Amino acid sequence: MEIATSQPSLVKASLSRTSLIAEIRAFYTIIWREWLHFVRYPTWVIAFIIWPILFPAVYIFSSFALAGPGGAGIPRFLQVAGTENFLGYIVVGTTVWMWANTLLWNVGFALRGEQMRGTLESNWMTPTSRFLFLVGTGPVHAATMLMFFIFTVIEFRIFFNLTFEANLLSLLIVFLAAIPALYGLGFTFASLVITAREANTFVFLVRGIVMIFCGITYPISVMPAWMQTVAQWLPPTLIIRAARAAALNRAPLSVVAPDVLLLLAHGAFWLTIGYLTFSQIERRARLKGALGQY
Amino acid sequence: MQTTPVFGLSRPTFGSHLRALWMITLNNWKHHWRYPLNAISDLLQPLVWLAPVYFMGQAFSVNGKAEGFAGYAGTDDYMSYIILGTALANFIMAVFWGMGYSLKWDMDGGVLEANWMTPLPRPLMLVGRTFSNLATTTLTSLGMILVASLIWGFHPTGNALAAVLTVIPLLIGLYGFGFAFAALVMILREANTLVDSGSFLVQILSGANFPVNVLPKWLLPVSLILPLTYGFDAVRGWLLKTRTLLPLNVEIIILVVSMFLMIFIGLRAFYALERRVRQKGTVGQY
Repeated sequence: MEIATSQPSLVKASLSRTSLIAEIRAFYTIIWREWLHFVRYPTWVIAFIIWPILFPAVYIFSSFALAGPGGAGIPRFLQVAGTENFLGYIVVGTTVWMWANTLLWNVGFALRGEQMRGTLESNWMTPTSRFLFLVGTGPVHAATMLMFFIFTVIEFRIFFNLTFEANLLSLLIVFLAAIPALYGLGFTFASLVITAREANTFVFLVRGIVMIFCGITYPISVMPAWMQTVAQWLPPTLIIRAARAAALNRAPLSVVAPDVLLLLAHGAFWLTIGYLTFSQIERRARLKGALGQY
Repeated sequence: MQTTPVFGLSRPTFGSHLRALWMITLNNWKHHWRYPLNAISDLLQPLVWLAPVYFMGQAFSVNGKAEGFAGYAGTDDYMSYIILGTALANFIMAVFWGMGYSLKWDMDGGVLEANWMTPLPRPLMLVGRTFSNLATTTLTSLGMILVASLIWGFHPTGNALAAVLTVIPLLIGLYGFGFAFAALVMILREANTLVDSGSFLVQILSGANFPVNVLPKWLLPVSLILPLTYGFDAVRGWLLKTRTLLPLNVEIIILVVSMFLMIFIGLRAFYALERRVRQKGTVGQY
């Protein structure tokens, strides 16, 4: 009788019956692990110094060439883009693209990385919600991207004397509103990657779509009508448009609000899709026993 | 009384070297085409990079003419300029990734030691890889030009033969540099950041996507040191009749001199690596 009465309390306190607090603790630990992973490989410092300026450079110098020695191409750019500041215009677009690109490689490959290292099965054996292992990769990536943005601003100030006419509050709101949409896409992608296994081609495909359709270096009005329609449905297009308004034209909240609301709607949609895809893939992997295969 | 076999592999001849070279080339050629998805990806990826460049060109052009661009390049045919640059830049990527990682891949695959035990001159392994890499990259680039010309149009109006002849010293010099780079990657072992950013930087500085005279004054001298800059410039000058940095004959002399220089540096670096790994016995480590 004694055993029967004491057993339930033991079971309750054990990890096999997790509480909300235990899930929060596990989530915190996953985020901390991701952070340690990030700082343990110091080459990120080199990447943070080089890439904010190196990737946009190819488009920036191309835009200098297109503008011409006497600025003959600038009136046309002003006409289609609504600004003469093509340098800032390109920097904002390419930086958002870099955000999406690193998201695909980091968050998108989070589960695949665990699978390759052989830790995915053992992690999923714990009574922690499996989706948390995926979601836990998001905050660290978002924090590192914030650092990346700061490096971008500093480097362009130094090397190109570029100043941003930014409304910081609007910019921050756009950044925060972009997170659910982008990371929802990333979670969906990560879930598909563990089934597809060889995912490099998928990354090239997705980032290629963003690069072509979302107007990272040009206004989408120069594309054919059908491409503009596709672009309107892609979250990076909204992020780039709102970020350009906030970073280059001091747009107040009221101006970026329509894009922010749309981004939040995209966020709700993509997080749901991400969760549903993950659940389906997880169930399929359990049924097939294919989790450890790569 | 025993006689030493004269025609055995232990006493290689020029003929046996040629046979070995052919086999190395064939091996790498087969290796490339056994992954057809990768080969298709090699063809399509430059097109994905070209599409936004095309739309950006549209944002600065009136009636399809890039007047501003013509002020720098001497031609308003922006897309032909970019398509040609991208095709040549494919070779930069091939040298950085394909040649750069060739020794490292053999090392990771555990075949480097076995290959180096054969009685062949060791640079021959890289020469064979150069031939197959050149052939596959040429095919990929020609395929890319064909597809790109169908989508955006490619209008070479100049001397194609002179352009091809100019490409030869450019590529030999580039692959000579590949020898040195392969040695460096093998020593560093984890060189992804170096290869990724290095190849991107060289593309930018050599003017694969724009005339280098748009570079800031502090960056232009670095660009002008690179022989590749003159290679890109001269090939465009011949084929698209663009305005060149220097007279074409001067650019060709620079290319030929740098070709010999790069081969010399590449072989020296390779032999230095070989000596180092033989002394340290680290060929099998990774």
